[in-house]
Amino acid sequence: MFFKSDKKSQDQVHGFSHLGENLRFEGEIDCKGEIEIAGKVKGNIKAKKLRILETASIKGLVQAEDVEVLGYMVGNIESANIHIGEKGIVRGDLRFENNLTVLEGADISGHVQKNKKEKIKRSDTDKVKYLEHNKIAS
Amino acid sequence: MPSVILRDTKLQGNIIEKDSITIDGIIVGDIKAEEVIINENGNITGNLTADNNIQVGGQVAGDLFSDRIHLNNSAKVKGKLSHKNLVVDEGARLEIESSTRKKISNNNKE
Repeated sequence: MFFKSDKKSQDQVHGFSHLGENLRFEGEIDCKGEIEIAGKVKGNIKAKKLRILETASIKGLVQAEDVEVLGYMVGNIESANIHIGEKGIVRGDLRFENNLTVLEGADISGHVQKNKKEKIKRSDTDKVKYLEHNKIAS
Repeated sequence: MPSVILRDTKLQGNIIEKDSITIDGIIVGDIKAEEVIINENGNITGNLTADNNIQVGGQVAGDLFSDRIHLNNSAKVKGKLSHKNLVVDEGARLEIESSTRKKISNNNKE
């Protein structure tokens, strides 16, 4: 019982992580939920939802489901949805599956490409199928 | 705004924060900050250096340097501590070597 309730609480995280304006980080970030960055980060970022704030400066590859760039970013972005804000600056390629939004004033230099959905989502559906299969089996 | 790292987040690398940082996630690497607060789910492998205060409620494997160190009842700490003031709550699980010093700030700059 104790461990079960513990696991449940670990699955549900309310709110999002925030890396402040005065923070400097070099290395890898792996976030299963939402993360907001206002500081300097050098390294690759994996997240479900990533927000790069105006004061942020990022160097590295970004892989996510939703990316919002309001600040400065050098490196490629791979995400289902990408949003570049008015003051967003991106030096790198954008690869998206569903939606790309670029507001007036955004500064982008790099390739922009829409990928087919299958590539990333296949693994997800496989997992779901596997889980469903397990449920039926049990 | 101080930084917050929740339990769904894993960082590998060194962190330098001029403000306060609260950690409930997994960090592999050193942390330098004005204040470090580690919550129950926090798990740190690396050294912590804080100007003012370190508060630990989670797991730490590494050395701690700060003027004030507070180990809560849920803390699990392994490493060396250097501090001016140390508070340990009942229930903390420790495997530490601790030393009280007059000046910690000099220690940090080295």
